[in-house]
Amino acid sequence: MKLKSLLLGAAASLALASAAQAGRGDSGHLNIIYWQAASIMNPYLSGGTKDVDASSMVLEPLAHYDENGNMVPVLAADIPTVNNGGVSKDLTSITWKLKPGLKWSDGSAVTAKDVVFTANYCMDETGGCQQLAKFADVTKVEALDDLTVKITFGKPKPFPYGPFVGSTTPVIQARQFADCKGIKAPTCTEANFNPIGTGPFKVDEFRANDTITLSANQNFRDPDKPAFATVTFKGGGDAASAARSVLETGEFDYAWNLQIAPEILAQMEAKGKGKILAGFGPLVERLMVNLTDPNPKWGDERSTVKHPHPFLSDKAVRKALSMAIDRTTLVEVGYGKAGRVTCNVLPSPAIYNSTANDSCKVQDIAGANKLLDQAGWKRGPDGVRQKNGVRLSILYQTSTNAVRQDFQALIKDWWRQIGVETELKNIDAAVFFGGDQSSPDTFQKFFADIEMYANNFDGTDPEAYMGSWKCSEIPSPENAWLGANMPRYCNPAYDKLVAEMAGTADINKRAELAKAMNDMLMQDYVIIPLVWRGNVAARANTLAGVRLNVWDSDLWNIADWSREK
Amino acid sequence: MTPETTLTAAPKTAAPATEGDPLVRVRNLKMYFPIYRGVLRRQVGEVKAVDDLSFDIFRGETLGLVGESGCGKSSAGRAILRLYDVTDGQILLDGTDIAPLSGRELRRLRPEMQMIFQDPQASLNPRMTVASIIAEPLDEHRRLDRRARMERVFELMDAVGLDRDFANRFPHEFSGGQRQRIGIARALALNPKFIVCDEPIAALDVSIQAQVVNLLEDLQERMGLTYLFISHDLSMVRHLATRVAVMYLGRIMEIGSRDQLYDDPRHPYTQALLSAVPEPDPAAESDRHRIILEGDVPSPANPPEGCNFCTRCPQVKDICKRETPAFRQMSDGRFIACHLV
Amino acid sequence: MLNFTIRRLLFTIPTLLFISFVIFFILDAAPSDPTGNLPLTIPPDVREKIRESLGLDQPMIIRYLLWCKQFFVNEPLNLLAQWGINIGDPDRLRVISFQTRSPVVDLIAQRMPQTLWVVGMSYVVGVLIALPIGIISAVKQYSWFDQMGTFISMIGFSVPTFFTGVLMIVIFSVWLGWFPSIYDTTLVVDSWRTLGLQIRQMAMPVFVLALFNAAQISRFMRASMLDNLNQDYVRTARAKGLRERTVLLVHVLRNSLIPVITVIALGVPQVFGGAIITEQVFKVNGLGQLLIIAIQGGDIPTVQTLTFIFAVLIVLFNLIADILYGILDPRIRYD
Ligand SMILES: Nc1ncnc2c1ncn2[C@@H]1O[C@H](COP(=O)(O)OP(=O)(O)O)[C@@H](O)[C@H]1O
Ligand SMILES: [Mg+2]
Repeated sequence: MKLKSLLLGAAASLALASAAQAGRGDSGHLNIIYWQAASIMNPYLSGGTKDVDASSMVLEPLAHYDENGNMVPVLAADIPTVNNGGVSKDLTSITWKLKPGLKWSDGSAVTAKDVVFTANYCMDETGGCQQLAKFADVTKVEALDDLTVKITFGKPKPFPYGPFVGSTTPVIQARQFADCKGIKAPTCTEANFNPIGTGPFKVDEFRANDTITLSANQNFRDPDKPAFATVTFKGGGDAASAARSVLETGEFDYAWNLQIAPEILAQMEAKGKGKILAGFGPLVERLMVNLTDPNPKWGDERSTVKHPHPFLSDKAVRKALSMAIDRTTLVEVGYGKAGRVTCNVLPSPAIYNSTANDSCKVQDIAGANKLLDQAGWKRGPDGVRQKNGVRLSILYQTSTNAVRQDFQALIKDWWRQIGVETELKNIDAAVFFGGDQSSPDTFQKFFADIEMYANNFDGTDPEAYMGSWKCSEIPSPENAWLGANMPRYCNPAYDKLVAEMAGTADINKRAELAKAMNDMLMQDYVIIPLVWRGNVAARANTLAGVRLNVWDSDLWNIADWSREK
Repeated sequence: MTPETTLTAAPKTAAPATEGDPLVRVRNLKMYFPIYRGVLRRQVGEVKAVDDLSFDIFRGETLGLVGESGCGKSSAGRAILRLYDVTDGQILLDGTDIAPLSGRELRRLRPEMQMIFQDPQASLNPRMTVASIIAEPLDEHRRLDRRARMERVFELMDAVGLDRDFANRFPHEFSGGQRQRIGIARALALNPKFIVCDEPIAALDVSIQAQVVNLLEDLQERMGLTYLFISHDLSMVRHLATRVAVMYLGRIMEIGSRDQLYDDPRHPYTQALLSAVPEPDPAAESDRHRIILEGDVPSPANPPEGCNFCTRCPQVKDICKRETPAFRQMSDGRFIACHLV
Repeated sequence: MLNFTIRRLLFTIPTLLFISFVIFFILDAAPSDPTGNLPLTIPPDVREKIRESLGLDQPMIIRYLLWCKQFFVNEPLNLLAQWGINIGDPDRLRVISFQTRSPVVDLIAQRMPQTLWVVGMSYVVGVLIALPIGIISAVKQYSWFDQMGTFISMIGFSVPTFFTGVLMIVIFSVWLGWFPSIYDTTLVVDSWRTLGLQIRQMAMPVFVLALFNAAQISRFMRASMLDNLNQDYVRTARAKGLRERTVLLVHVLRNSLIPVITVIALGVPQVFGGAIITEQVFKVNGLGQLLIIAIQGGDIPTVQTLTFIFAVLIVLFNLIADILYGILDPRIRYD
């Protein structure tokens, strides 16, 4: 920390001490540590989370996602929707209005031309823009007036919030980057390291892959913010030492992405210097139930819809397997604060989270046994249930990973208690997820009865993700085992919901449809959710205002952060 | 009979053994080296490299010290010059016992006694020029100005037959014989009385050996030096020495005038040793029968009970294995340590 | 000696060119993808475009020649331009890092201070403590001092720096709070107070690395001293009646230092290579950290340039070691 910044902070706090409201620079200096250092301040040239987060202190999009995954306007005056006329009825264009009077940190005005420039900057074929996918289907971006931008798509977009929503696609200044388009993009070192932005801070010194020093943007639109006068954004090291520097030594105020063993994190937190924060995106550890028969006797038709599974096609068995699981124990064993019990495959954003399946939260071995008894599965002499010569004997596969193997052992024992025999198998992650056509052990081929892994989706919109369980997504030799529908679930009612969502723009209506799809999968017990996995960060006790956000940059609301007395 | 050697100097007439005035008197000198073993490097024993030596060296004479390799000759020579801290015994140099001295007192006496080493290459500091090697002892012990010092260095170089122009060269630039001359010049720098020559020619070519030996003899004559001449080359010792001491396993077996020993060896070990020397006279050579000793020399860390030579002595008796023979003077003046004579 | 030096220097040019090609070839053959670390949500066609924009669609030999031009021609010209000597078009393309899109040479220059401060200082400190320890250990062979020295250097050798580093952080940063656990590369030393801060933040990484360096060099010093202590010329020096101090410091030490100095010179390139692990543990972010991040990120121009500069330093310090040997040991003559 530089002496100058200390003095500045002190002077600022003296000057404003009498003011009732906290003012800009009042809180002095903020120390942030990212154990992966930022390489560049331009997310269009590096999509790495560290780079996106670092630049989010300086560059801003039209709208952010808040910690619940809802959009909040930033540079935009409000969020365009079909209802307010911002999105055209045919869903092919969206018109954004900027807040009036916005200024870049160099004092010049922010106009719609900057937004247009940014879109063209990224969509330039030769520039290697890493956020190009966000601009998919965009055919035209035009400035209708100084404050209005219209984005036109080549096809209807029920969710037209790809460009300029979230920190991955902020608005950059046209004047600064004018000579940096296309093949010249990488040569603009000065612009890429010190972008002129609208955000609460501006770069004083950028040391690539090391440290960024920032100070408050005097032209920031809210005159009382940011509360911090200066920021040091340090990079490097590893997650454990970053956690230590916040929780144990108190040298830093905020540490990002702390994937370390839950018990170590808990020990560090016990020192009392800081708090662990967890944010939960859509990442769910789950069991996939194979509805088709993986028996090798079927040869090329193994695990295809031609042969239904001998016992997992019985819903009572699938339900009993889910009931026997103690999800609270799994969370404690595997993830601590970074995990939560969930009964949904789509637990977030919050508006998509269903409460219809919450009975799974408590383990019910007795109930599971009763259910199987009623369904006619009788225990044999070895304790394994059977019916008509079919034994409840399961091959349960997953990737090689300490936590997953713990889970396998626990679940095997619970299933034993309901008369189900389990054989465990673990496969190297590179093979399991590798998609190699010649390997029998990929998660798509699913030559087992049950498999376990985690999955999620990018952004806040679950449309594509929920589409994974359409009939047409079933992997098979015909489609080279591509497809995400591992359970081989095929339900016309489900496919209908998917199609309906593709034509619906209203966000609340979309949420209802997604929840209905989730409930259908849950109540058919073809996907058995286990643990909702989150991101972990740490903050110092004296740092106020942090709202950990998995949908956007961790630092999305850094303008609101302040030092608590 | 005159030994036929390559040497040009005439052999000396042997001085009687007890005649003269001793410059060095060694009494019961012991030099034991501790042996450390194991992780903790505990002392587990000692190498009795020199075990109870007593003898005199007379002014102006050359005492030859002979024996097989490893019998303790070098250790004895170094102990006498106090290059080691001796274990026990007295070393009287000109009447002063130097055995218990150390530090400054010992350094004060260093000019009196010097050593010429076996390996002239290794015994010269490779990073010093000839001039600085020779001058260093002068700096330490004599107060000379630069001119006088250089003068002395040149004088010494002349004395040992080195070209003055080589003063600023390094030892590796010289041949073996020249290097030994540097070693000799260095030893002479402080005008010592007594010089231990530890196999000074063993590392040299035969053709050069004679030159160096001649130089040593020449210097002895001119400067009145007293030598302890260590060698395993019995013919060379016969040529040089006035008296000869024979060592075996850290002890002296027999000491007497050169002629007594060479012509009439008494100790069985001396007899065996000399029987291995080729006679210069072909007639005598054909008579010579070699006494071949059985077995190996015992380790000085673990010498046998009784006489040190008892394990290999061709004439061994029971008493030899029990009692250490006294070092006695014979009627002819020689000393001998043997139960049989 | 001059002839020898010039001859050797000329000879290094083809050697280094060859090395640079080998490095390039190996880097190209290794499965490193600059887009590999990007979030999975970036689709394959975008990745392909990114690779094209980095010039990775060009054949290997073209990329190599381009790098050669940028590194051997443009960079030196750029350096001259900074000193006010302008030759040719000032807009020439420099070696640009994939990750940061900034000139690699500038990144290296930015890393130099902390690497030299920490790694360099640890080398100096290591040498300064290693020499007396080695000397005393040899002179007092098997004394308790020597045994302690052996034990400590065994620890210094065998305990990895990430372990000693973290241990020190837990003790001195977490428990005692004496030293910061994270190095501040932006600290500007311009007063006594900032100097104090700098010393405090250097203390632990320097100590950890110095221990490691000292362990090796002190063993080497000890062995070399022991070698010389048993030499005849030492006995000669004693026979001359020199003080024991003179014998040890003038005769034994000066001869023992010859191989040690060579080893020290050969170790210098490692300083510039940085200490990857120690830099990571203490977040020093020097050259070592730059290299490791570049490797992880598939940043080929950075890895290539850094590795090549290390190669140059290694070749150069080998030459320096040879020359030093020639100067220090009169027995060695190269002409
Ligand atoms: N510094 C020493 N430490 C331990 N043992 C030694 C040392 N010097 C000599 N010895 C041992 O003492 C014995 C006599 O050695 P030395 O005097 O060199 O014999 P010589 O000169 O007759 O060949 C040998 O066994 C040798 O190993
Ligand atoms: Mg010897």
